[in-house]
Amino acid sequence: MTPIIEMQGIHRIYDEGGIPTHALRGVSLTVKRGELLSIMGPSGSGKSTLMYIMGCLDTPTSGSYKLESLDVSKLTDDELAQIRSERIGFVFQSFNLLPRATVLRNVMLPLLYGPLPPKEREQRACSALAAVGLPAEYYDHRSNELSGGQMQRVAIARALVNDPALILADEPTGNLDSATSRLILETFLKLRDEGKTIVLITHDAEVASWTDRCVHIRDGHLLTDEEERAWVAQSGSHERGRT
Amino acid sequence: MRARDYFEETWEALDANRGRSLLTILGIVIGIAAVITMTGLIGGVRESIMGEMGANRARIITIGVESGIKSTDIDSLKQSVDGYEAISLTNNAGVDLSDSSQNGGSSDSYLQVQGVEASYFKIMGTKLIAGRFFTDMEDEEAANVVLVDEGAAKRLTGMDAEDAVGQKVRLVNANFTIIGVYESQAGMSSILTSYMPFKTCQRRLGYTSVPAFTAIGLARKDKDVMELVAETDAWVQKHYHLESSEDHRGQYDVSAMQSAIDQVNSAMMTFQLLMTAVASISLVVGGIGIMNMMLTNVTERIREIGLRKALGARSSDITKQFLLESVILCITGGIFGIVFGYLGSLAVAQLAGSLLASAGFGGITPVLDLASIAIATGISILIGIIFGYYPARRAAKLDPIEALRYQ
Repeated sequence: MTPIIEMQGIHRIYDEGGIPTHALRGVSLTVKRGELLSIMGPSGSGKSTLMYIMGCLDTPTSGSYKLESLDVSKLTDDELAQIRSERIGFVFQSFNLLPRATVLRNVMLPLLYGPLPPKEREQRACSALAAVGLPAEYYDHRSNELSGGQMQRVAIARALVNDPALILADEPTGNLDSATSRLILETFLKLRDEGKTIVLITHDAEVASWTDRCVHIRDGHLLTDEEERAWVAQSGSHERGRT
Repeated sequence: MRARDYFEETWEALDANRGRSLLTILGIVIGIAAVITMTGLIGGVRESIMGEMGANRARIITIGVESGIKSTDIDSLKQSVDGYEAISLTNNAGVDLSDSSQNGGSSDSYLQVQGVEASYFKIMGTKLIAGRFFTDMEDEEAANVVLVDEGAAKRLTGMDAEDAVGQKVRLVNANFTIIGVYESQAGMSSILTSYMPFKTCQRRLGYTSVPAFTAIGLARKDKDVMELVAETDAWVQKHYHLESSEDHRGQYDVSAMQSAIDQVNSAMMTFQLLMTAVASISLVVGGIGIMNMMLTNVTERIREIGLRKALGARSSDITKQFLLESVILCITGGIFGIVFGYLGSLAVAQLAGSLLASAGFGGITPVLDLASIAIATGISILIGIIFGYYPARRAAKLDPIEALRYQ
């Protein structure tokens, strides 16, 4: 089966006041359809940059990125917008719901930029909300009237509504208590079981332990579990040597 | 994104900041209201003046000769110059009513009397309310008949138009029968006017020896008015032997009312342009207010813009959304401005009418025509686009990643 994501030698260099800053240094990664993958790394490791490139919000300086076999590394802004509208769903740590809009309108938001007629959009939004288990009585509530867990479920429904090839979740449990986090992670597992491909960005090992596979990122390099363990061991001995 | 979606999103955004939106459009409301008030009043004054000129105003030619015009002169003119549908001699006189009045000195103690031929009413398009016009025969016989305006009918008989017809009134030292009542001239309702046959006016009011100084002619519909003016001008010079006179221009005048209409239109247009220029300062200030609010909106909604872009919005979608918000704000301001402007023009007209009533000014009715509404709406849309474009582009150019990270 064709992988959802095929990244080869991705580099991303930012120009910060004339000084080139390497955020990603030759990242290669493949994500299979129906996989629940976590990308773990500390702050500044490049995991957000990797997510933005995966989510077609940014393009690599060099390397190739194929999303569902389509090379998206050289597309224009408008073409990338269309890819995001059709193939990618985002879940953010801070939910990013429109506070003045109802739950239903928030979920329908990605469909505004597509071709579906209003009636069908509403049907799709209701199905997505049902899939994340939000009761129908909340559909007409404003999003700022909901609890954190409910808001994140609305955000997941919004990510699902355009039936994307890939759901990208950036620290989806970062603002939630552990009981609610568990519910959200269970929702992701359920979606994975239904065939969705999900990439979680996290720095929480507990969250990563729920996923099928975890890749680590440090200083713009992807590390396997073994490489990560070796890096931690080396770093630990280095620390001990200093004390 | 569909048009309906843009409008729904726009409404939602503006509704969320209702108070601020309403305050921001005040500048536009005031600017548009000022333009509409000026336009309404100027239009009203223009209509009033045009009303006085009569329905056939574009075809009317006035011939004035210092040495006087006789009936035989008119016959000669008709033979020499082809193109008149009708010509009437006119004479002006006045009757002091204060002898029989308790309010002597006020404007309605004086009755303007114009001696005219029967054809005059056709030329001027005078509108009767009751009764009839006089006939050529009555003119020939110098019959004691008179047509009065509504105000004069009331003043002379104390009756309404219908009842005043047939009443006898004493003017100077003769009895006259009111045979018709016509509409008072727009804007001049408190000046009392009347018409009587030309010959009656000459004989009964003591102007026997005085010829007419003015004749009013109506050009045929198929005749070019300015051409007829030129032909008449040449005829007058020849007929009265004025070609050799050094200052012959001062001794006669042949002019089309169209020239006066053009002058009035031109003066009104200049005045309107001046007033609109003044009002447009308010519109510019209003536009800057709109831009300021839209820039604040963009800053407040940076994360929303980032989110929309992440969810698939193109830069053009964001531009259109913010531009529409600004345009809708301005159109709303424009609609309020049109309503308040019209109400303002009614109020100013009312005030001016009551202040100037004693001076014989009957007031004006402000004119709100479709063109003014269309122009006001167009200006509003234009302000929305001009002052909304920069904030909208700024929103559209935001980098989605930076926007999503914005705190």
